[in-house]
Amino acid sequence: MYLDIIITLIKIAIVFGFVLNVAAILSWAERKQSAVMQDRIGANRADVLGFRIFGLFHPIADTIKMLTKEDWVPPAGDAFVHTMAPFLALFTALVVFAVIPFGDTLHIAGRDIPLQIADLNVGILFIVAFGGLGFYSVVLAGWSSENKYSLLGSLRAAAQLISYELALGLSIVGIVMVYGSIELDDIARAQGQYILGFIPYWGIIAQPLGFLLFFTAAVAETKRVPFDLPESESEIIGYFTEYSGMKFGAFWMGEFIEVVAVAGVVTALYFGGWQIPFVNNQGIFFPGLFTIPLPHVLIVLLQVAAFGLKVLFFCWFMLLVRWTLPRFRYDQLMAFGWKFMVPLALLNILVTGLFMYVF
Amino acid sequence: MKIVTQKLTTKESLYFFEIAKGLWITARHFVKNMYFHIAHLYGKYQEVPAAVTIQYPEEKIPVSKRWRGNHRINSRPDGSPRCVACMLCETVCPVQCIHIIAGEHPDPNIEKYPVSFDVDVTRCCWCGMCEEACPVDAIYMDTGKTPEPGYSREDLVYHKEQLLKETPLPNYQRSLNTPGQGPMKANPMGL
Amino acid sequence: MPTVTIDERQVTVDPGTSILEAAKKLGIFIPHYCYHPRLTIVDACRMCLVEVKGAPKLVTSCSNAVADNMVVFTDTPKVEEARQSVLEFLLINHPLDCPICDKSGECLLQNYYFCHSRKPSRFKENKVKKHKVVDLGPKIVLDSERCIVCTRCVRFCKEVAGEEILGIFNRADHSEIGVFPGKKLENNYQGNLADVCPVGALTARDFRFKCRSWFLCQIDTICPGCSNGCNAVVHFTLRNFNGLKGQRVFRLTPRENNDVNKVWLCDVGRWGYAFVDSIDRLTMPAMRKGEDFVKTDWNTALKETANRLKTLVERYGANAIGVIPSPHLTNEDLYALKCLFGCLLKIANIDFKVPGFDKGEDDKILLKADRHPNTKGAELLGLSGTGLSVEAMMDKVKAGEIKALYLAGSDPVKYMGEKAEEALSRAELVIFQGTNFNASCKLAHIVLPGATFVEKEGTFTNYQGRVQKVNKALEPLGEAMADWEIFTRLGQMLGVFPSYRSAEEVFMDIAREVAPFAGITYKKIGSQGIKLTLPEGPVLSEAKE
Ligand code: SF4
Ligand code: SF4
Ligand code: SF4
Ligand code: SF4
Repeated sequence: MYLDIIITLIKIAIVFGFVLNVAAILSWAERKQSAVMQDRIGANRADVLGFRIFGLFHPIADTIKMLTKEDWVPPAGDAFVHTMAPFLALFTALVVFAVIPFGDTLHIAGRDIPLQIADLNVGILFIVAFGGLGFYSVVLAGWSSENKYSLLGSLRAAAQLISYELALGLSIVGIVMVYGSIELDDIARAQGQYILGFIPYWGIIAQPLGFLLFFTAAVAETKRVPFDLPESESEIIGYFTEYSGMKFGAFWMGEFIEVVAVAGVVTALYFGGWQIPFVNNQGIFFPGLFTIPLPHVLIVLLQVAAFGLKVLFFCWFMLLVRWTLPRFRYDQLMAFGWKFMVPLALLNILVTGLFMYVF
Repeated sequence: MKIVTQKLTTKESLYFFEIAKGLWITARHFVKNMYFHIAHLYGKYQEVPAAVTIQYPEEKIPVSKRWRGNHRINSRPDGSPRCVACMLCETVCPVQCIHIIAGEHPDPNIEKYPVSFDVDVTRCCWCGMCEEACPVDAIYMDTGKTPEPGYSREDLVYHKEQLLKETPLPNYQRSLNTPGQGPMKANPMGL
Repeated sequence: MPTVTIDERQVTVDPGTSILEAAKKLGIFIPHYCYHPRLTIVDACRMCLVEVKGAPKLVTSCSNAVADNMVVFTDTPKVEEARQSVLEFLLINHPLDCPICDKSGECLLQNYYFCHSRKPSRFKENKVKKHKVVDLGPKIVLDSERCIVCTRCVRFCKEVAGEEILGIFNRADHSEIGVFPGKKLENNYQGNLADVCPVGALTARDFRFKCRSWFLCQIDTICPGCSNGCNAVVHFTLRNFNGLKGQRVFRLTPRENNDVNKVWLCDVGRWGYAFVDSIDRLTMPAMRKGEDFVKTDWNTALKETANRLKTLVERYGANAIGVIPSPHLTNEDLYALKCLFGCLLKIANIDFKVPGFDKGEDDKILLKADRHPNTKGAELLGLSGTGLSVEAMMDKVKAGEIKALYLAGSDPVKYMGEKAEEALSRAELVIFQGTNFNASCKLAHIVLPGATFVEKEGTFTNYQGRVQKVNKALEPLGEAMADWEIFTRLGQMLGVFPSYRSAEEVFMDIAREVAPFAGITYKKIGSQGIKLTLPEGPVLSEAKE
């Protein structure tokens, strides 16, 4: 019993350690990657005792700056809600990781340890539900600021989030149909199959359209370019206009955590989760030929590493998207969501259904 | 007002291919630059730049031979300023950033000299009119320098002593037609 | 009355008028150097040559009187050529110091060169070197190289200042102005030398190198140096980069007024402006805390003043307060003071005649013994003789009968010495209102900064009873305020008081209430002033100049 709790705590520590660190590094990576993409060098001035280590001190400097800034609450606003909103944003983004499996079940000392914090049998619903909850933080932030521009910004953001929530949910239906489960663990495991014996039966192979729709909608949920109308720090007034200091920083961190979360979910659903092609729980195998046996623990570790790498790849990819595309206009954004994504998602379900009926 | 809208082709209106194209370009830049960045870490391909950034203030763009930089006051052979405190530069300066306090020089042939000569570079617009107005070629803008940032406004007011110490940029070309420093103006005051 | 035709226009002038003056009447300006309307004519510079029909040669317009039916041309090619030749000769040995010459910008050599010549020099030989920076006295510097030997300075000393001090030494292009051996240039009018000199040969030490003439703005004013009320122009700059520390007023130059100062100014007045920007100017209201003064704001200072005056009046009656105004204040200031203390607070002890205030030295030319510009005004406004004299007030203060003294610009300690000092230090409340820190201010409990004559509008009444106007050139330094404004604000705190918004409004009240000023407005005063019909003495007509 106690051991179970300890094991769960360790898992939480590992996952949160990973997520929070990646999120922090993303704030550095965002600067550096955009710089490299644009033939620049990027932030590299913060130094400690003359060491600059590629500007890695910048996130620390940022944090110090945020923490020491004035924490301002609009006098006419609702101080409690105003303070809670950023925490809500952080919380909903973080809690999604509870259901994401990051490795196969580990058999060690006679115990079966699933490498997933909570093996909920409603995994996907959990993710969608908490993703949907995130928009409360936006609305509350805008409302409690007692600033009509913030409020308008938050309503605009809420409209966007709800619209894309729909497309997001519908696009997942395809995956659920294909793998026949809404448990993420099962879905990850099911992706270990092979079509014709050598093509990994990953979500992206089974549901290419579903993947595109899901990924697009998920980016829209993170409120990042090209769907960054809710924030758009530089031009339009967004819901966190009245935030300063670390509360603003919390929104900012929440956004990066969401990026990691989306990367995690996409990996789990469409990119084989922790699966490594041609590695099963015996070792490396070549379809129809032979197998190189590997110790169980090593295989699990490899799988965890693979999961991590996949997540990092998607983080990178989302930064790439963010620094490549321009922003949608608001009417385009809504039209795209309702007139393009939703019908396509429905079509995807239909086609998937047809396929499943036929085969 | 005529609004011109460009109709998207079907392929473009799908966004997907266009986005893929864009991502391809940025990803290519990323990979290429990353490759050279890493190569540089190992001391390879130093000659291929991975970024176009110029790391100011450690690196500076070489300035043109005729570029107007910070001011400088020419000195007489004995080291005192050539300036006779006529205040013509102060007069002509469009932003009133030169402040001179004149004093009586012990030598009656010099008569007037600047007790203090301040150029407030926070206001200066580098128009070069002071250089042109000076009847004795005392103020030049050939140092090729830009103002160093300072922590107070006072840091950005250059005083006589500072201005006297500055040296001209080698190869500075004062006039378009003459190479080198160009002849000094004929000096009506026989300096 | 001869009638002449100058440049095809006719004018009738008094017999004996020179061609130059006749032309001036027509608005035709004939350039000249040595001619000065107030000095004898010497015919030296040859710049004023004009063509007279029938005359074989060009004639000098300054020394030739007009004759009836004379036909004069002032801008024929021949005249222009003559001017160019004169300029070329003048410039042969001229050092062309313009960049460092104080006259530059207002130099007649420069001006005429640009108007009439603009020819490059043809002189290839070496210029004659002469003495530079020669001290003629402590106040005037001579640069012989720049001198064009017009002798205006020589004539000025002889004819106006009344002393033959300057003369020409050596001959031809070696001639130099100099002081006669054994004599010194130390009269009270040498400042005018810098004005009469058409070029930069004579410059005033006081102005030398301080400022360039083109940085200066000018506005008409009245010299506050003595009760003569000489008309002057104040030269000031708005380019003061040092805030409260920099110099804003640079010089006073005379302005023509035939009835007062002709075109001269004495040195006492000319160089007496220094207090305007001096380091001891009061710029903030202050209150005494123990030994020190603490700066405060106007509201606090005025409220404190009003409260304490009110309490004193209530407790001891109006006679427990003495008011000593200064004849340095304008009529407007003094009238507001009288309204406040005389009418509102019913104080009778108002006297501006601090013993010895008019015992300066009278030089019988311009400078008067009374070194205050508005003594007459103060008298006419009845600021003396209503109650105790200053001397009696001081005694009463010592006796403890007068509790408070209000010093409006006056400095009794300066004139009465220890007696006043003792009285002031005994008084329960001393309020000092003035422009500069002084010995009396040191003993005050409340200090209210006033504006100087260049910082406010107003009028002075000179010893003849001529009302003349000073104009506001600059904003008061720091938080200082025009005195009438201080009295107005104080009055409104103490009771019903007219809400004056400008000095002109105060003056309108003066014209209504004070008999000698009846019917006068700022407009009527104009630039030359207006002479009052004085109650006593010979009745003078309202002379309109
Ligand atoms: S460069 Fe122009 S703005 Fe700058 S000091 Fe000279 S005249 Fe003034
Ligand atoms: S113009 Fe030349 S000589 Fe005159 S004050 Fe300026 S720097 Fe000095
Ligand atoms: S006197 Fe006149 S012309 Fe001569 S140096 Fe002075 S300003 Fe120039
Ligand atoms: S010093 Fe001036 S006023 Fe005197 S003679 Fe020379 S130019 Fe004339």
